[in-house]
Amino acid sequence: MNRVTLRKTLISCALLGAVLLLAIVSMSLLGSERLPARASLCALASLGSSACGLTQDQFDILFQIRLPRILLAAAVGGSLATAGAGYQALLRNPLAEPYLLGISNGAAVGTMISLVFFGAIEWTRPLLAFSGAFAATFAVYRLARGRAGATPERLILAGVIVTTFLSSVIVFVTTLMDATRIRSFTFWLLGDLSGSSKALLPVAITITILGALTLTLHARSLNLLMLGERDAFDLGVEVGRVRMVVFLVASLLVGSSVAASGSVGYVGLVVPHLARLSLGSDNRISIPAAALGGALFVIVADTVARTIIAPRELPVGAITALIGAPLFIYLLKRV
Amino acid sequence: MLEARDLTIAYDHRTAVADLTLSLKAGEITAIIGPNGAGKSTLLRALNGQIPKVAGVIMLDGQPLQRLNRRSISRHIAVVAQEAELRFPVTVLEFVLGGRFAWATNSGWGWETERDLEVANAVINETELRDLSARLMNELSGGERQRALMARALATEAPILLLDEPTANLDLSHQATLLTLVRKRCDQHRSAALVVTHDINLAAQFANNITLMKQGRAVHSGTPQEVLTPEILQEIFEVRVLVDAHPITGGPRVTPIISA
Amino acid sequence: MCFLCLFVATCSAVSRRALLILLLLAISFGCKSGAGQRVSLPARVTRVVSLAPNLTEIVFAVGAGDKLVGRTSYCDYPPEAKAVAEIGDTLHPSLERIIALKPQVVLISTSSQLEVFTQQLQNQNIAVFVTDPHDLEGVFRSIQEVGEMLGQKDQADQLVTKLRERTTAVEQAVKGKQPVRVFYQVSAEPLYTAGHDAFVTDLMRRAGAASVTANVPGAWPKYSNESALAARPEAIILPTGGSMGSVNSDVTEALRQSPAALHGRVYKINDDYLTRPGPRAIDGLEAMARALHPDAFK
Repeated sequence: MNRVTLRKTLISCALLGAVLLLAIVSMSLLGSERLPARASLCALASLGSSACGLTQDQFDILFQIRLPRILLAAAVGGSLATAGAGYQALLRNPLAEPYLLGISNGAAVGTMISLVFFGAIEWTRPLLAFSGAFAATFAVYRLARGRAGATPERLILAGVIVTTFLSSVIVFVTTLMDATRIRSFTFWLLGDLSGSSKALLPVAITITILGALTLTLHARSLNLLMLGERDAFDLGVEVGRVRMVVFLVASLLVGSSVAASGSVGYVGLVVPHLARLSLGSDNRISIPAAALGGALFVIVADTVARTIIAPRELPVGAITALIGAPLFIYLLKRV
Repeated sequence: MLEARDLTIAYDHRTAVADLTLSLKAGEITAIIGPNGAGKSTLLRALNGQIPKVAGVIMLDGQPLQRLNRRSISRHIAVVAQEAELRFPVTVLEFVLGGRFAWATNSGWGWETERDLEVANAVINETELRDLSARLMNELSGGERQRALMARALATEAPILLLDEPTANLDLSHQATLLTLVRKRCDQHRSAALVVTHDINLAAQFANNITLMKQGRAVHSGTPQEVLTPEILQEIFEVRVLVDAHPITGGPRVTPIISA
Repeated sequence: MCFLCLFVATCSAVSRRALLILLLLAISFGCKSGAGQRVSLPARVTRVVSLAPNLTEIVFAVGAGDKLVGRTSYCDYPPEAKAVAEIGDTLHPSLERIIALKPQVVLISTSSQLEVFTQQLQNQNIAVFVTDPHDLEGVFRSIQEVGEMLGQKDQADQLVTKLRERTTAVEQAVKGKQPVRVFYQVSAEPLYTAGHDAFVTDLMRRAGAASVTANVPGAWPKYSNESALAARPEAIILPTGGSMGSVNSDVTEALRQSPAALHGRVYKINDDYLTRPGPRAIDGLEAMARALHPDAFK
């Protein structure tokens, strides 16, 4: 494979971006209610200014329910894949992902606390999710710090400890909930994009874009970090600073995703892997590609989740797991 | 170019380096020799700016090392690593281009310039890796990989090279190749090199200057002729040695005497 | 068949993803259990433990409250029930505490996912009475069976007669009226509703409502926002204010522009009436009918 150039990156990203746009448009034609395709396309093309013959209900379904949900899926998928790519580069481990380090569980615990103790107040949910993600990152980082700094082995070990601890906390709090809450919380825990907090959508999208951009802007440093922290240091990378940036940005990305939609698994693991396999390990191309690919993956998975047993719904995390796990096993064999 | 004055490094109640003074001069190879645990690697790490808390002074071109940022240090000092962590696939060219990072104008981003490619290809030629430049690093043999590491360090165009036991895993031919490369750099480009090594005889042939360390101190320093004497070597290594003149090079040749 | 999915559902109280998914499917597909099962009961029952709030209510309603020696922490009605010893909650009752109370029979509602538990109780020679009414007729049957088992047959029969009268009264009142298209909202986010197998679906039918989700498979399906919007319900029922507290007191966003919401036909009804298949279900039935067809009850 040739080395990555600006041209190659722009072309790949433009292609992926085009596919993503196509997916957004085409998936918005699918749902538990049938919408007339031509009229819907016309309305989408007019960006909502014209109803093109859709009834008010159909228009609302398309623009108030489906499109925001698809965009949220894109934001969540993009965030998780970007965070995964960042962790894999930083920890020099192609199998690292947000869950491994307990970040998602931290965000989930934060959300649970907001549900159980501040149930009525909406904005506590994302706030406590971020706090949970940061707290988990902090805990992992402190646990992993040894004399030689936070080596990947120690980080992963610390991550596993934090993850399992937080998992038991989640199980414990779940047992304190009553049956109704448990049912809806369990669903959310597996990834649920049906939440209608539209106010948070622009925030989620902004975070995804800013996060992906920030990590891409550190891509060259990450390329060197991927081949060894000591070597990266020798070659001029400010290892401590880059590590902190990646951790913070990735926590923000994961926290925002979990707050919006619970834990959607396998995206942060499988998508960056696929991106690297097809485009090379250079982060300048694989991070933006992972972001776009992650968005695509979750949009498709969510469309399956909301149409396959319509009018009922499955949690999107179940679909990403059903697709992601076999895919991952296949990838493992290739590596 | 690079000098350490009264350098003392201590951690965990152990003193790794004590009151060490050292100076690297342009065009010269300095070898650091000593028993295990003498503090040689720690010294090397400190000279590269990797140890933040040191007593004493390290000056790079007249400036204290602590005041310089990571990138400018990397432009002046290159470390030739012993081995690379290759968990992700990367070609030789990409690997060597990594050495150009310190010259990138944007912090963590940016694309390689024409100059970067020129330099990388030049050092790839110099290290005889031209035919392998499109191959993946983990397809290379041990010796080829070592040359690639050397190439990456050379690609930084840093005038000071630090090598930590570079010949440890190499066979004879590769040992010679590597040190010849270093020698050439110092001769032709006026670089300075610091080589930590266990191989006394190789050092005797390639180094202008040998510093012997024991328990963190620079005990003796001078040309190979001056310091490679039985008395000094016995003091350092606590073993009897025979030192004679190498029949071809004329320099000192050290053989340990292991009584049966 | 049913026991299997419930067994799996019970195991899923841990965080393993696969089991959680199965739990979800099990809940969605629901469970069709019929009348209660009798398991080697003694002739005279004087000590009984109830593991579900509706069963506690039935025990007291047939006048056998003095025989109740154990209840779950959720069994809060009637007020006298609170004096009875607690043995845990519906999902995780304490086997030790139950045994310590030396009951002769334990009343179980299969919707509490306790099938695994049943075996352990039987090993202790404690009889288990399982009942999970899916409709009003099932409730009446359960009341009679519990009444007979606890030696209160006459009182049970009287109670059932009275409840039947009230039910018939409601059904007559709304007969001939156009059924109101209703959406039953279990929770707003994620959006859950009552499906075909839910107890309350039967109640709604009798109350003169046409639940828009009456034919959706399962008992408590997670419902699509789009379909809820497209259903254009004329009325929305929010079970809230009982054990649920103030949760679920707002209409989900997808329905805020529905005819129901725009005309103010959003009715909050005590969730305990609608989710506990027991005597108070008739209160729920009456409340719904009155809300949906006010002119029929002048």
